[in-house]
Amino acid sequence: MTMPLSQRVVFWTIVICVLAILSIPTIVVLGASFTAGNIIAFPPEGLSLKWYSKIAGASDLWRAFGRSLYVATVCTIVAIPVGTLAGIALAKYRVRFETPIQVYLLLPFTIPLIGSGIGLMLLFGELRLLGQLWPVGIACAVINLPFMVWAVMASASGLEPDLELAAANCGAPPLSTFFHVTLPAVMPGVISGALLMFILALNEFLVSLLLVDARIVTLPVQIYNSIRSIITPDLAAISVIFIASAVVAVVALDRLVGLEIFLKSK
Amino acid sequence: MDAVEAVAATLWPARFGKAIPYLLLLPAILLVGLLVLGLVEIADSSLRTLDTSTFLPSDYRTLANYERALTEGLFRTVATRSLLGAVIVTVLTLILAFPYAYLMVRTRSAGLRKLLLIALFLPFFIGQVVRAYGWLIVLGNQGMVNEALGLIGVAPLRLLYNYPAVLFGLIQYMLPFAVLMLAPAMTAIPEELESAAQSLGANWVRTMFHVVLPLVKPGLVGAGLVVLTLSLTDFAMPAILGGGSQDFIANAIYDQFFRTSDQGLGSTLALLLVAVGSILAGLVFMIFGAGTLASRGARR
Repeated sequence: MTMPLSQRVVFWTIVICVLAILSIPTIVVLGASFTAGNIIAFPPEGLSLKWYSKIAGASDLWRAFGRSLYVATVCTIVAIPVGTLAGIALAKYRVRFETPIQVYLLLPFTIPLIGSGIGLMLLFGELRLLGQLWPVGIACAVINLPFMVWAVMASASGLEPDLELAAANCGAPPLSTFFHVTLPAVMPGVISGALLMFILALNEFLVSLLLVDARIVTLPVQIYNSIRSIITPDLAAISVIFIASAVVAVVALDRLVGLEIFLKSK
Repeated sequence: MDAVEAVAATLWPARFGKAIPYLLLLPAILLVGLLVLGLVEIADSSLRTLDTSTFLPSDYRTLANYERALTEGLFRTVATRSLLGAVIVTVLTLILAFPYAYLMVRTRSAGLRKLLLIALFLPFFIGQVVRAYGWLIVLGNQGMVNEALGLIGVAPLRLLYNYPAVLFGLIQYMLPFAVLMLAPAMTAIPEELESAAQSLGANWVRTMFHVVLPLVKPGLVGAGLVVLTLSLTDFAMPAILGGGSQDFIANAIYDQFFRTSDQGLGSTLALLLVAVGSILAGLVFMIFGAGTLASRGARR
């Protein structure tokens, strides 16, 4: 579509502003991590890897990162079966009370995060589970579950039901049909959903903040606690972990389902 | 495999087939049930006041916390600040997101489309804390902007820890959500409609206002409600970019739990916020149907 010049100028000006707003923090954190100076300055005082060598020895940061990885792993392990089964059920079967069930399964998105976090904090406190890490993983699985269900549904609805009937017709018993026909067909959805769950749990902040205590902080909470006191470039170096994992996630998502899927009209 | 099938067949005869979808849904229903139980806990705790002699929640139940939450000036200030902020953020975000979504959907260049998509998804996956940290580096007292201003002899400006900084951070956080909710609505508009309007003599401003905007309205309303809810209930941006002086409702709730240790009052505020959030979400469902997650795939 050819746009008139004035429209082009107006739209492009806004889009370039938006691109700048979206990418400046990332670029700045990346740049700050390579600075040679002590205070984050402009113009940068030369390039160096000294902050990387400094964080290499910062065991508290690495322990926090290890905890974040653990939380993300627990979250993904819980979310994969739960979300896959629910996604298949909603995409492939006629379910009674479908609308109420869908509204219910969307609760993690409709309840504000601070509400979900406080509720789980009180609940886990009652169950004497606070102070451990795995409940944080469960909490992350709950609050992001709709992403997993959605990813599986998107690929399950592309599967022809005739294929499953054909398998059954050729004598495949139900479980074989499930494992050899249904599951492979929804695999792209399962993988991209699992990826989403992992990355979102890795950088989950608010729910972690509410559920962890000082002994078991996750990396986003650790960064949050530190930037409230003093801003030094070593945090920029550790933040690069999040940038790198985000790049991996975007590339993988693009390969698996194609980012353009988000532009499709429903 | 045969043995497994045989066991499955005895445990689960074919005539139980109708129950399969419900069985598949059960784990998800139980998992989300944790949130429901959490809400019950919040509701129960909201009815107990803090006993100032023992610093424990009271045994009896009362509505006193609700009275405090609705009448105390502090909470009214915080609620007004959050609501006003959320409305400003929503309007500005939509204005910025509209051209972005439009260009992304309409461009002929696959490469440009990909670039615009990647620029949206990267910050989404990087997380709020790191993004806010980036803004601290840019806007801080010894940050890049002030250092650059210093070079041309301008005294440092206080760009952080104020209301505009929080709103700016929120807009940046909300942009991907808004664009991704607008884009599908934009895709659904046939390009021919715009060409038709233009060949009938409408300039692009009129085409936008009379053809594109009305057709994309459901997407705008949906994106607006999502942005409104998310920014109204946000914690990280007010906490990091507001530096404690620009608290939103979520920060006030956090403080009740972790600073003043008044769990009851904190729960009351949380429940009121959940109620407001649910009303907004209910509006989204009413406008779009609950099928936000639904698809039109073949079913049996």
